[in-house]
Amino acid sequence: MLNYRDYLSYSEKYTQLAEEELDKLKFLIPSILLSWIAIESFINNIMDDFGSLPEDLFELHERGLLLEKKVIFVDHGGDMGKFKLDQREYKRLEEKILFLITKFGNLNKPYKGEILWQNFEDLRDTRNKILHPRRNIELELTVEKAYKYLEISKNIIQFVSTNVWHKKISF
Amino acid sequence: MEILFEENAKKSEKIEELVSKFLKEVPTLESKLNVPMVVFQDGVNNSYYIKCQVLARIASKIIDLNAKIKARDPESFRANRELMLKHTTYLKMELDASKGREFNDLIVEYNREYNADKPLKVWGGQHRAHAISGAINSANRYHGFKVYFDLNEKQRTEVALISNTNMGVSDDTFDRMLEETTFGNTLRKWCQKIGFLGTKEDFPDVGSRSEKITVKLARSFIVNYYMGLDKGTTIKSEDLDKNIHEPYVTETGVSIDARYAKMMNEKGNKILGDKSLIEAGKKFLELHRTQYEKVKGNPKKIRNRKAYRNKALVISVLCGWSYIAGLLQNHRARLLNHYKIPKTTSKIPDPLNAEEMSNFKHDSDLPTYRGLGTRQSAKDMQRLAQVFLAKSLSDSCILDKRFLQKAVSTVVGLTTLKRGYV
Repeated sequence: MLNYRDYLSYSEKYTQLAEEELDKLKFLIPSILLSWIAIESFINNIMDDFGSLPEDLFELHERGLLLEKKVIFVDHGGDMGKFKLDQREYKRLEEKILFLITKFGNLNKPYKGEILWQNFEDLRDTRNKILHPRRNIELELTVEKAYKYLEISKNIIQFVSTNVWHKKISF
Repeated sequence: MEILFEENAKKSEKIEELVSKFLKEVPTLESKLNVPMVVFQDGVNNSYYIKCQVLARIASKIIDLNAKIKARDPESFRANRELMLKHTTYLKMELDASKGREFNDLIVEYNREYNADKPLKVWGGQHRAHAISGAINSANRYHGFKVYFDLNEKQRTEVALISNTNMGVSDDTFDRMLEETTFGNTLRKWCQKIGFLGTKEDFPDVGSRSEKITVKLARSFIVNYYMGLDKGTTIKSEDLDKNIHEPYVTETGVSIDARYAKMMNEKGNKILGDKSLIEAGKKFLELHRTQYEKVKGNPKKIRNRKAYRNKALVISVLCGWSYIAGLLQNHRARLLNHYKIPKTTSKIPDPLNAEEMSNFKHDSDLPTYRGLGTRQSAKDMQRLAQVFLAKSLSDSCILDKRFLQKAVSTVVGLTTLKRGYV
């Protein structure tokens, strides 16, 4: 099974290939997506770590986020009057990161205004432009940008690792 | 011949008599030259010894390479490590001996309590002693001996330890010596009772070369069982899976592990009659044997590697398993599940799924992490304990990749919660 290190490594390889090609876009697109996927893989696996714990260690709404399930109010049957987890409900990567670092990082200062988060939003916007293409949206991808996104991906992963596991990881 | 006591040696008539007896029985160069024999006394353990030169042909007839820690106990085994007669260093030693090289500092004990016709029990330099014996037809030179007298068990063990410290003697050999001196035969008897060792078999002197349980592994099994048992009495069934369980590896080498010593001082021979501990040992042995046979018998499905065959004897696996066996003693249904051997499938031929364990890596691990059940780190032992604890939830468990991932996820999640929950 692939992990975030694999995705980062693939991303880098695609960027290197782009450096050598005239038609760079065909390598830059997968490179940038892979940088994003690396974060997604890392965060989802941490969510799974917590999701595998006994149910009563988290509040129901927290488990809803961890397991990506909808919290519903039951108005009939044996569980009538209670809340429970229902069908799948995908959560945004940003929400998961915010949850993890707030829950475990004990951060007292706002971090959304900081350069790391702004860079992350930049990567997210570019990824969205690639995945949801429109005629009037111009993709301005460069090798430099791909390397920058690779670094952003690593920095976000390191940021979450430091706050959740309290340790730096090696790439 | 005059016998003198060195100024730091306390004069002893008994020692003087023994030295005199030795000198009458064993011709030495000192006797031949009629120079006084000096008796020394060790400043640390007070043992007495002399230094003398003995001819190879004489020495070869009276040296005993099967020295025992407990001289009067017939159940006591040879304490030294096995001779490595094909090792290049030994072969060179043998060649040198045949060419007339003189060796020095052979450490022996003069003792006629067993194998009386070979009173020089070798504690240090057994390879040199063997080489001398093998070369007597081509060279008969004087060799230097340090001969100890009237050693008690503690002194004897220390002589054995200090004589071997500079050589590549394994911790398993030290463990074996210290175990017998300190606690007698209890641990070995326990292992024989379970079936880890044959009825007349001793622990291996180098665990990494054998495929048997070592003193360290046996100690760790028992200590972890009792640790788990203690923990299990303080924990409710519903909380078993909310805790990080931390098995323990007993220290090895020139000192006895404190936790093991405490346990043995409290229980001693009682471990031989503890039915639950014996049951746990037998169930573990069953797992080990099944793993061994399944790996050996399925060469097309799994590589017949020693590490895979003996996966159960990897310290983290053994400690995790025995800890959980103790923990679940008060939780019978889960204990019975724990004792069941994990199922195998056409894709997973061995119950412990050794190959998958070796390939395992969590995101939080270093890139160099070598997989589950490969090291004796605290992290690895916590993970293995969780694997077995999670397995005890079901009576038909397969240790597949998904199962292993979930178990490790639980440990990582619990560790993070414990450390960083806000």
